[in-house]
Amino acid sequence: MHKDVHSPYIRTKVTTASIMQDVCVALVPALVGAIIFFGIGSLLITLVSVATCVAGEALWQFAHHQKITVKDFSAVVTGMLLAFNVPSTTPLWVIVLGAAFSILVVKQFFGGIGNNVINPALMGRLFLMLVYPTKIMSYAEPMDVDAITSATVLASLKATGKTGYSLWDAFVGKVPGSLGETSALLLLIGFAYLVWKKEVNVAISGAFFATICIISLCLGQNPFMQLFAGGVVLGGCYMLTDYNLASGSGKWIYGIAAGMIVMAIRLWGTYPEGVCFALLIVNSMSGLIDGLLKKGHIYGIED
Amino acid sequence: MVTIFYQRMFQSKSLFAGGIHPTDGFDKALTGGKNIIKYIPNTVRISLKQGLGPACKPVVHAGDHVMEGQLIGEAGHFLSAHVHASVTGTVTAVDETACEIAVEDCRLPDTDCVYYKEFVEISYSKEELVRLLSEGGLVGMGGAGFPTAVKYATKEKISHLLINGAECEPFLTCDEHLILEQGMAILNGARALKKACGAQKVIICMEDNKVHCKEALDKLLAGHGREVEIRLLPTKYPQGSEKQLIQAVMGVEIPAGKLPAEVGAMVSNIQTAKAAADMIFGGFPSTSRVITITGDVAHPGNYLVPIGTDIGELVALAGDVKSKDNKVILGGPMTGRLLGFCLDAAKMQAEKMAVVSKVSGGLVVLDGNKPEVSNCIKCGRCLQVCPAGIKPVMIEKNYLLGNLIACKALYATECIACGSCSYICPARRELAFHVVSAREAVRAKIREEAAQHA
Repeated sequence: MHKDVHSPYIRTKVTTASIMQDVCVALVPALVGAIIFFGIGSLLITLVSVATCVAGEALWQFAHHQKITVKDFSAVVTGMLLAFNVPSTTPLWVIVLGAAFSILVVKQFFGGIGNNVINPALMGRLFLMLVYPTKIMSYAEPMDVDAITSATVLASLKATGKTGYSLWDAFVGKVPGSLGETSALLLLIGFAYLVWKKEVNVAISGAFFATICIISLCLGQNPFMQLFAGGVVLGGCYMLTDYNLASGSGKWIYGIAAGMIVMAIRLWGTYPEGVCFALLIVNSMSGLIDGLLKKGHIYGIED
Repeated sequence: MVTIFYQRMFQSKSLFAGGIHPTDGFDKALTGGKNIIKYIPNTVRISLKQGLGPACKPVVHAGDHVMEGQLIGEAGHFLSAHVHASVTGTVTAVDETACEIAVEDCRLPDTDCVYYKEFVEISYSKEELVRLLSEGGLVGMGGAGFPTAVKYATKEKISHLLINGAECEPFLTCDEHLILEQGMAILNGARALKKACGAQKVIICMEDNKVHCKEALDKLLAGHGREVEIRLLPTKYPQGSEKQLIQAVMGVEIPAGKLPAEVGAMVSNIQTAKAAADMIFGGFPSTSRVITITGDVAHPGNYLVPIGTDIGELVALAGDVKSKDNKVILGGPMTGRLLGFCLDAAKMQAEKMAVVSKVSGGLVVLDGNKPEVSNCIKCGRCLQVCPAGIKPVMIEKNYLLGNLIACKALYATECIACGSCSYICPARRELAFHVVSAREAVRAKIREEAAQHA
């Protein structure tokens, strides 16, 4: 039993585990959507990814005689987010590799929860993109029994300037894409839950979405298509908001920077999608952004 | 509109920065609606250290017969306050720290006195009032224990006297019940204190979970409305912290390292105001107080007791503790002092664990378990809730690395030790403990450097 020897002697009910559980709950609608759009295989990929992350973390900590922290659910969140970032056609052994890379190299090598610099799920996805590009680049047509694969909305937009899908399809998620990222609607429902629980800061996401809209408008793109297609909603709601200590006004800058990088990559880069890179870049910049801003007001000290 | 929406959604109505909402009110309801119970023990053990300064010099001997209110300890330091016998009886033992008295009789301040019933004329001058506060051995009863007379003897021009009835600590309701039952004495005490510090106005401040207290005081104030103002403030911890209370009411901050008097403010606790009334109008020195016994006890309640009453006895009176794995806290659960774990009334009495002092506002029994400390997840909640605006997580990190220079640069010295950061931390880190340790270490270092230069 652990004793509370220092004041305060009462604590909030919110714990690291409860926060992570809430994120898992928030991701459930999008997972259900993925099963509807891309079949039961989506669920299988998600389960394998989560199982690999949890087992990887537990084994690593067991082997190093550390306290096993899988009960905090952070490995579950990493597993779910990684699965959401790959297409439903991904072979299971590929997702196992990606999940193992995420949890071991990106998280445990840096000292486990709280000490990793970069979001493990994003880094895992990047790893797969670079090592097995062909395995995670074939996107299935949603609700299609013949399992025809096709280009994502953003890829066809980049190649031909047309999408072939209505805005409504993109919003609901009936478009080809990574299994958990296509449905802006379901992701936003989960996000609303997190906001209601006061677990995320909407400033970052808001600034991110607003920046993408404004840049799209200025450069003649359909702002809604840019928002709903690809990983903007998933990244903006669940990964950009990953805790990073960014203080007050830093959050706006954080979101704006991410939005600008996304649009730059989408419009002028080689890849059709830039969310993954953008998030990795701003993740690494968080310390810099904090350092550039004034320290905030301290009671009794003149600014 | 976006801004308004943002504020609605994410910033609660507040008049100071940061803060937390530790409970939903069940805690205060435990003792709510019950009258204060008067309790006279068989013996009292009065600590001779009641102020901030060193213990008083005892002026009685074992075997002496003392009357209630008789001086038993003389203050020798300007931060100490006189100690009086809280009961009539025979002194059984005296040493440098405490005086034990076998109780024969104890009247406690007489609530039949006229100042408990109506407004009374204050015939004393400012100097006489301050002298009375000093003779009565008054100290700040909210927890600080600063001698009231020293505070009120200030030469600064005071614009606002704030009588602090915020009682923002969870579980405690002793101030609330004192307002409800002895409101007139508090109003008279507040008026006397206003004259003692020369304030232009006196405001009794309460959190808005005590609307019924405001109504009770408003009723008493009928016809005298201009004399004392009653102000409700948003319910948020630490509303009752001196700095935050001044900020909420007056809209100014006390500059770092300065006293409230320099911004024209003076803050005294509700119980101090009541004790002032007892001394000034009734001639009763400060020898009793109301204490809340609550939490995991069979019959939580508020008790009016003489100073020096044994805590274990009070717990037995409240029906003993219910849980085996308990922790017992003297004071409030946010800033109180831990007496120990797995205690029951008999053990507390046998070990003479603690006695009621002038600053003991409560005794709270809680479940002793706590989840393990884990890694910081950089959620930033401690930065949001810190009323001082400092960065607990950064200070903790640097303190644990032994980097006091960084702690100083992060203004560890401005910590008010409210405990909000530890309360909110999802990783259960001991932020408040480490930041307060850092604060003390930095202050010691500054003193050391100053001594070297001198």
